[in-house]
Amino acid sequence: MKRLFVVLLILSCVCSVFASGSKEASSASNFGTALKGPGNVTLKRLGYNVAFDVNKDIIVQVTKQATGYDVEYYALPAQNADEKLLMEVASGKDYDVVNLTVDQWRTLVSNGALQPLNDLLDSYGQDILKGNSAETWKALSDEKGTIYGVPYMYPYGTEVSSFMVARMDLLRKAGIQEIPTTLDAFYDMLVTLKKFYGDQYIILAGPYRNAAEGSQALTFPRIISSAFGIYNDWMVEDGKVIYLSEHKNFPALVSFLAKCATEGLFDSDWAANTTSSITEKFASGKAIIACADRNLAQSSIPVLKSNLGLTDDDFGFISALEGSDGTCTYLESTAINHVSAILKNSKNASDAVNWMNLKVQNQLFINIGVEGIHFTYDTDGSIKPINPIFADERGNSYYYNDVTNEAEFKFEWPSRIRKSAAQWLAFDNVTMKTNKERPEIFVKNEFAFMPASENMAKYNTTLLNSINDFVLQVMSGSRSVDDIKTYTNDWKNNGGEAVRSDLAAYLASK
Amino acid sequence: MRLNDRTNKMKLNTSSERIFSFVSYVLMTILGMICLLPCLHVVSKSISGGSAILSGQITFWPKGIQFRTCSYILTQTGFITSLKNTLFVTIVGTCISMFTTITTAYPLSKPKFVGRKLFIMLYVFSMVFFGGIVPAYMVVNTLGILDTYWAMILPFAIVQFNMFVVKSYFESLPESIEEAAYIDGASDGQTLVSIVLPMSTPIAATVSLLYAINYWNNYFHAMMYTSSPNMRTLQVYLYDLINNGQAIMENLYGSAFGSSVGVVSDTNMTADGMVAAAVTLSIIPIVMVYPFVQRFMIKGITIGSVKG
Amino acid sequence: MEKNRREKIGIKKKRRIWGYVCDHPLLYLMLIPGLFFLCIYKFWPLYGLEMAFKDYNIFAGKNPMDAVSASSWVGLKWFKKLFASSQFLIVLKNTIEINGLKILILFPIPIIAAILLNEIRLAPYKKVLTTAIYIPYFFSWVVIYGIFYSLLGSYGIVNSFFARIGLSRLQFFTDKSLFRGLLVFTEGWKETGYNTIIYLAAITGIDTTLYEAARIDGANKWQQIKSVTLPGLLPTIVLMFILKIGYILDTGFEQVLIFYNPAVYDVADIIQTYVYRIGLGQANFSLATALGLFNSVVAFILVVGANAVSKKALGRSIW
Repeated sequence: MKRLFVVLLILSCVCSVFASGSKEASSASNFGTALKGPGNVTLKRLGYNVAFDVNKDIIVQVTKQATGYDVEYYALPAQNADEKLLMEVASGKDYDVVNLTVDQWRTLVSNGALQPLNDLLDSYGQDILKGNSAETWKALSDEKGTIYGVPYMYPYGTEVSSFMVARMDLLRKAGIQEIPTTLDAFYDMLVTLKKFYGDQYIILAGPYRNAAEGSQALTFPRIISSAFGIYNDWMVEDGKVIYLSEHKNFPALVSFLAKCATEGLFDSDWAANTTSSITEKFASGKAIIACADRNLAQSSIPVLKSNLGLTDDDFGFISALEGSDGTCTYLESTAINHVSAILKNSKNASDAVNWMNLKVQNQLFINIGVEGIHFTYDTDGSIKPINPIFADERGNSYYYNDVTNEAEFKFEWPSRIRKSAAQWLAFDNVTMKTNKERPEIFVKNEFAFMPASENMAKYNTTLLNSINDFVLQVMSGSRSVDDIKTYTNDWKNNGGEAVRSDLAAYLASK
Repeated sequence: MRLNDRTNKMKLNTSSERIFSFVSYVLMTILGMICLLPCLHVVSKSISGGSAILSGQITFWPKGIQFRTCSYILTQTGFITSLKNTLFVTIVGTCISMFTTITTAYPLSKPKFVGRKLFIMLYVFSMVFFGGIVPAYMVVNTLGILDTYWAMILPFAIVQFNMFVVKSYFESLPESIEEAAYIDGASDGQTLVSIVLPMSTPIAATVSLLYAINYWNNYFHAMMYTSSPNMRTLQVYLYDLINNGQAIMENLYGSAFGSSVGVVSDTNMTADGMVAAAVTLSIIPIVMVYPFVQRFMIKGITIGSVKG
Repeated sequence: MEKNRREKIGIKKKRRIWGYVCDHPLLYLMLIPGLFFLCIYKFWPLYGLEMAFKDYNIFAGKNPMDAVSASSWVGLKWFKKLFASSQFLIVLKNTIEINGLKILILFPIPIIAAILLNEIRLAPYKKVLTTAIYIPYFFSWVVIYGIFYSLLGSYGIVNSFFARIGLSRLQFFTDKSLFRGLLVFTEGWKETGYNTIIYLAAITGIDTTLYEAARIDGANKWQQIKSVTLPGLLPTIVLMFILKIGYILDTGFEQVLIFYNPAVYDVADIIQTYVYRIGLGQANFSLATALGLFNSVVAFILVVGANAVSKKALGRSIW
């Protein structure tokens, strides 16, 4: 099959040589053109927003060293990124590689702005093709099998990414010796803490979410909803696709959250909290428990250690809670994080693919570094980074990744967490522990590899936002749980059914 | 009796004036403090130690003073480049804008100017109606000035509101002066340059300041029309830093503030501190401008040139 | 006879117009730079207003400009989407109430501040004060939110103080009865300095001999202000007020977007934040343009109306 492709490719190259005499200006795709080679072309890459100057980071040199290509890097702005992306692409900007969120990618694909990659990958991107699973490639193709992007997979599939971190010293003072593992124990713990400490501390600070626009996170702790069997906004029950608001335990979940809020067990600023405010509340010692991810652990644990003289022992980590009937469901994190694609306007498609391929071949060097200088191999074979040079010279490599060899990267990636002892502490005590003791709680994300759907791109963000808002409003008392009926009507008007039918169709085709 | 009265009242400090002066001092000081204290919070964060910031101990005074954060911002993060860009845009922009504003406001301030109403309506209309970001982007694209300084300067080449302020000021100048000049044979241009402008230094200084503030503060144009990282202006740079400061921290060497053996720690760098430092440093230039500008705001103008 | 007379008046008018233009050519030439930029940057993009009536697809046609004509007409679809929702009346009410509150409370403050500042004799202190009050203008709303959350959050500086002296904590950010006050206060904090500068400049334009005359006539300070300063400031005040009223539907978006949260939607959700939410993730340029057009039309009507009122009541008009 692949040989046939190569033959066709050669044939089309030959034909294009004869066809190049035509006057038609080809603003269309350029596949079939030969490689210009490193040193003869400057590639352009557009990525998402970051604070550092993306042209001046050391990774730029490192990548050039490994691949030989000169590349100009551009970044989207922090606000209105989607609008600007569309305006630039539609007005003919000729970026070669664009690093996109899945939503942005879906929009561009459905508007025909991206180049098909099958032939290019066959000629120049063998390592890319081999480095990712067939399922992933299916997710990035259309019905005819034309691939429009290369995936950057989230490297760790079964991670409990949002958990809670607790001050064990304060817990022990109130008479609680152990981290709760069931919802009832959790509730009792909160009540005990409230009785003991009153107004002095925030009992539970949350939700931990980015204030950035279009945040994809749910605004209630996923380790609480796990006890209700709720693990995502779109779920599959008995083969049917249901939305969060339709789940049989959704009213119970929201009532539980509202109860905790009314009883003062949650931060009274719950609706206004952001990642930085929660980090600050926990790091300053104002909160006993905080909804967290590894980054909060990294920012706050060392500060508490140095300011209050705490040790690793004084931090407890709450993982997914169990319901009274033993229900515990947590979503797998296997998903396509970003997609890199090549614009139709690009004039250097072949070199772009070649460049990405070279990056995959050298991914250990670009992401981790040189053995002996940046890292060593531990006794069990895992990678151990040498700090501070590792963080100095490879710290920002995550930004420049377009695509990886999945399997190898899964092995290399945890080393990046180990650059911070606090992150590792959290990761070890939550994810590794859960994987060891209760691996069955992880639910596969049926829709992680769903190909682009117009309805999904159009409506899902709004739907997610409105369910988040609804939960927060019930918690703050602006609405009541019975308003679910009104909410469901709004949901239908905002495209809920359209998205559901797309998801159901995909599920049926699997 | 009457003479005494007049002398009393001609003394510069009657009791009502003294009371008023006192009240002014008190009230304005209060206002000044209300405005200044929250700023002090930011300034303090920019030079405070990392753990003090993260644990929320900073109120209005720095704790654990260090300059590492400020020097990191100045040397490692593209601050200087964006400052340079903003300075160029502001200075050149203000000059161009003042020129267009004064040349527009002067004719429109003359009550007998034919077509006055029409032109003013054009300006009012354009102030209120906006075509949208896509057409604006396409205009800049078509002119070929995307990703250049001009894309950030020319959209503000004239701000209608500022033009109205200048026009209002010109209208408040007594007509007698211009008539006197006209009788003496001066042309419109000469009147503007040698008579009206010298009398307008307060408003010119103020509107220049308003334009400078406009250019300095503007985020939208730079964000929309530039894509090269080295064309970022200060505001774009700040927004990027605010939105991604945490990401910088996660990847900085400073892993875990020294809780691992063999790790060099940098306990003073925090995302909050970096943002505070960047914000503080970015305000210093523009704040220095006002005292300079204020020199031109002489109290009152000499109308004494027209007698009788 | 009538026709002749009207013709003669018409000719006289034309001669007068032409005469004026010939007498003052430089004045017309001077208008050119401003008009040039106005045409390019304000009038040319106006073709985009068509998008409000179309289903704009940025990829239609050869480029986004072409796409305006290449997209299909949908008539009033977007306006219907805006207005038909039950939420619209709520957010309209919120918008008018919040911005009205801001005008009511915040409009007089810079005027008073400028008058008071003018009385400060110590020049260095005056410089310090003026600089101090306009520094806040340079903080972006994101930074201001951070500052005020540290100060006024439930466990912030002010509330910790309250807790220490035994008062209950005030939830400025999530309490519906306090949130609008927070919005008004922070806006005042940010913008007062900027507006004060404008009024200060206007005050310096007032003829000082008028003060002397008033003083000689026996006016005390308060009367001097009433009879000299305020009338002198009136043109600027009227200008600022008319514009503030004109923009009553169209301001405060950035501030509210950054400050608000679902707990206070009922009192703080304004038209633009509502539209922002329903269009999130869709890059719906048409909807945004429709909203912009609606705001522009309302603003235009309000500005013209306010100007007419001011003309009748105070004899002052922008044009």
